[in-house]
Amino acid sequence: MGQVLVICEKPTAARRIAEALDDRGKPKAFREMDVPYYISRRGDREFVVVSALGHLFTLAQSSGSWTYPVFDIKWVPAYTVDKSSRTRNFVEVIGKLSMGVEEYISACDYDIEGSLIAYTILRYICGEESIKRARRMRFSTLTRRDLQIAFEKRMPTLDFPMIYAGKARHEVDFLFGINLSRALTLSVKRATGYYKTLSIGRVQGPTLNFIKEREVEIRTFVPEPYWVIEAEAEIEGKRYPLEYSEKKIQRKREMERVLEACRGAEGVIAEINSRKITQKPPAPFNLGDLQREAYSLFRYSPRVTLSAAEQLYLNALISYPRTSSQRIPPSIDVEGILKGLSKRREYRKLVEKLLSRPSLKPQQGKKDDPAHPAIHPTGNLPEKKLTRVQSRIFDLVVRRFMAALGDPSVLRSVRADVDVNGFLFYLRGRQTESLGWMEFYGPYVRRKEVILPPLEVGQRVVVSRLEGVEKFTSPPSRFNPSSLLKLMEEVGIGTKATRTDIIETLFKRGYILGESINLTDLGLSIVETIGRYCPEILSVEMTRRLERNMELIQLGKKTAEEVVAEAVEALRPILEEFKAKERLIGLELNEALRASREKENILGPCPSCGTGVIRIIRSRRTGKRFAGCSNYFNGTCKMSYPLPQTGKIQPTGKTCPACGAPIIKVLRRGKRPMTICINFDCPAKKRRGEKVGAAVSHLQQKDRG
Amino acid sequence: MERRCPICNRKTEGDPLCPYHQRAYLNLRERYDRWREAMEIGWEDYLREVAENPNTGEWAREVAQHLLKNGGTPGLNSPS
Repeated sequence: MGQVLVICEKPTAARRIAEALDDRGKPKAFREMDVPYYISRRGDREFVVVSALGHLFTLAQSSGSWTYPVFDIKWVPAYTVDKSSRTRNFVEVIGKLSMGVEEYISACDYDIEGSLIAYTILRYICGEESIKRARRMRFSTLTRRDLQIAFEKRMPTLDFPMIYAGKARHEVDFLFGINLSRALTLSVKRATGYYKTLSIGRVQGPTLNFIKEREVEIRTFVPEPYWVIEAEAEIEGKRYPLEYSEKKIQRKREMERVLEACRGAEGVIAEINSRKITQKPPAPFNLGDLQREAYSLFRYSPRVTLSAAEQLYLNALISYPRTSSQRIPPSIDVEGILKGLSKRREYRKLVEKLLSRPSLKPQQGKKDDPAHPAIHPTGNLPEKKLTRVQSRIFDLVVRRFMAALGDPSVLRSVRADVDVNGFLFYLRGRQTESLGWMEFYGPYVRRKEVILPPLEVGQRVVVSRLEGVEKFTSPPSRFNPSSLLKLMEEVGIGTKATRTDIIETLFKRGYILGESINLTDLGLSIVETIGRYCPEILSVEMTRRLERNMELIQLGKKTAEEVVAEAVEALRPILEEFKAKERLIGLELNEALRASREKENILGPCPSCGTGVIRIIRSRRTGKRFAGCSNYFNGTCKMSYPLPQTGKIQPTGKTCPACGAPIIKVLRRGKRPMTICINFDCPAKKRRGEKVGAAVSHLQQKDRG
Repeated sequence: MERRCPICNRKTEGDPLCPYHQRAYLNLRERYDRWREAMEIGWEDYLREVAENPNTGEWAREVAQHLLKNGGTPGLNSPS
C-alpha cells in the first residue's frame, strides 16, 4: 500500500503524532534541510509525518504598487513576503515528501488556524488533487491514547466549513489591514513627505476606541468627597471592626453628628442574623478564564499565559488551550486523568479524596465550544523540568480541574446589629463550615475569615475606636491586558485565537503603554482622526457583523466568497471617503507624530539647571547623537552627555539616584536591553568600577600568593 | 478664524475650550453642586481642592488651574 503523508502544525506535535501512529511507538526520525520528519509503521502502512512551522502561506497583493485601495489578493509562500521567515525549507521538504503519496491526513491543531494551515499546504504544495484524498484527525490532547482514537475516527474529508471560515477571516482581515494601514501611512507621506508606518485593523480600531473612551473618562474625572466612619468594638479584650450602616456619608455635617453622638458611648447588640452561604465549585477553565486568573494571581499577561499553556499542550500535559468551553464532556476519562495525577506527591491525597466519592461529576460552565472541551490536565506528568511560568500554569489547571469535581463549599455569615446611641453599626463574621472544592483549589482560593466570639442580644460592647475619614471618589480603573481581553470577549470582537495578538499590536505600534494601560498621544490622535473622518472603522457593530458572518460560514449558511465580497463592499466607501480627505488626515496625524517624536527624544529633566530637559540631539557636523539640555539654545545651560551610537534609545522616565541624570534603555538587535544612567562619570558607576577593580586585584594577589 | 484651546492648543468646536477640556469643565461645574452640598465650599476654594486632589483627571486639573489663573476667562465664568 502507498504512503500516507500526515501534516502537523509544529515539530513537537509531529513527533508525538508519529510516536502515536507507530505500532512500536518508535518512529524513524529524519532531518532534511533542517526540517524534521518521521516515518511510522502501522500495520502494513507507512506514514510520513511532517511538520509545518505555523502558517507556510500568507496573503499578498496580486499586483500593482504600494497604494490603496487593494482588493486583488492571493495566497503566496510566507517566505516570499517575510524574508526572515524560516519556512522556505519546510515548503521544499513537504513538496518532496508528497511525491507519490496515496493519502493525506491533516493533523494540525483542531481549530480554524490549524485547518487552514493544512489546507494551504495541500492546495499550494501537494496540488488540488490532494485535497480530495485528504482526511482530518480531530483531537484535543496530544496523548498517545487520544491521538490513536483521533486516527481511527478520522473524518472522511477535510473539515471544509472550518477551512472556509479561516480563509475568509484571513482575507477579510488582510483587506482591512492592508488598506487602512496604507491609507493612514500614505496620508502622512503625501501631506508632509514624512514616512512612518501606521496601522489600524478591523478589531484594532474598536479596541483602541474602548481604551480612548476610558482614557477620556479618567482624564476629565472630577472626584467627589464623602466620609466613612471607621470604628472598632472591644469584646472580651479583643478588637473587631465595627461597620457603620451607611457606607458612604455624603455630608460632612452628618459625619460630625454621628461622631458627636457615638464618641465614648457603649453599643448594645440589638439583633443577630446568621445565614449559610453555599458556593458552587468553579467551572473548569476556558482560555479567557485561565488568562484572567493567571493575571490576577501571578500578574502574567494574557500572552505569557497563552504561550505557557501552548507549551504544556505540546508536552501532552494539558488539553488544547484555545477553547471557549467551560465544560468537560462525559467522553473524557476523568478517573484515568486523576489516577495519572496521583503519581505526583502533592496531588495524591487530593486525588484519593476525589476517587473515594461515589461519582465524579465536574461542575460545568455555561460556555461551550464545538471543537474542544474546557482546558484540563491529561493525567501525564512533566518528564522534564518546567519553567516557573509553565509550572504555575500547570498547577493552576490541575487544581481547577480537581476543584470542579469537588463539593460546594459552605460558609457561615453572621451579622450583629449594634445600636450605639441610636445609630446602627454592624459586627460581621465569616467562617468556613465546609471547605468543599476550596480544599482542591488550595492556594488559589481568596477568602477572608473573621471569627466573632459568641454574641447574644442585649450584650453591651465598648466602642474602642471611632473616626470620621474623608475620602474621594476614584476615576474608573484603567484597563489592563486581562480586563481588555474580557471586554473584547464580552462585546464579541476578535476570537480566542486573535485577541491576545491584537492587544500586543497596539503596544508595538506605540498606541498604548504600561501594564495599567495608558493611551499615548499618538494613540489618541489615531482614534480622534479616524473617528472624525471614517468612524465606521471604530464601530463595534461592523466588526461584530463580520464575526457573525464567519460563524455562518462554519454553519454552512454563507459562503466565504459572499462574506469577503460583503467586507469589500463595506470597505470601499470608507476608503473613498478617506482618499477624499487624505491631506487633512495626513496633516492632523503628522501633528501627533511630531509631538510623539518630540516626547521620545526627551530623556528626562536636566540635573544641572533644573529647568531644562535633556533631549537627544544629532550633530549636524558629525551626524553623531548625544544628549544635551534644552536650555543650551538660550545660553543658560551647557549640560551634555555622550550617547551609544548604535541601537534604539528609549527614555525610562527615571533618574539616577546617584547623580540625577536620566536613565535610558538601549535596545540592540539580538542583544538584551541595557538600562543605564547616561552620565559617563556617574559616581555609582565609579563605585561599581572600584568594587570590580578591588575584586580583580584581590584575585591577582591570590594568584601570586 | 480657527479657534484654539487656550490650555492645549487643540482646535475648538464652537466652545471656548477643546472638546476634552470642555468636557472636563462641564464635569467641574456639575460636581461643584455636590461639593457645595457636602462641605459648604466656595467656587475658588473648590477649584483649589480639585486641582490638588490626586484623583482628579489630568484635563480636569488643567481646567481648574486655568480657571484659578484666569479667574475671568471669557466664557468660563464661575457658576452663580
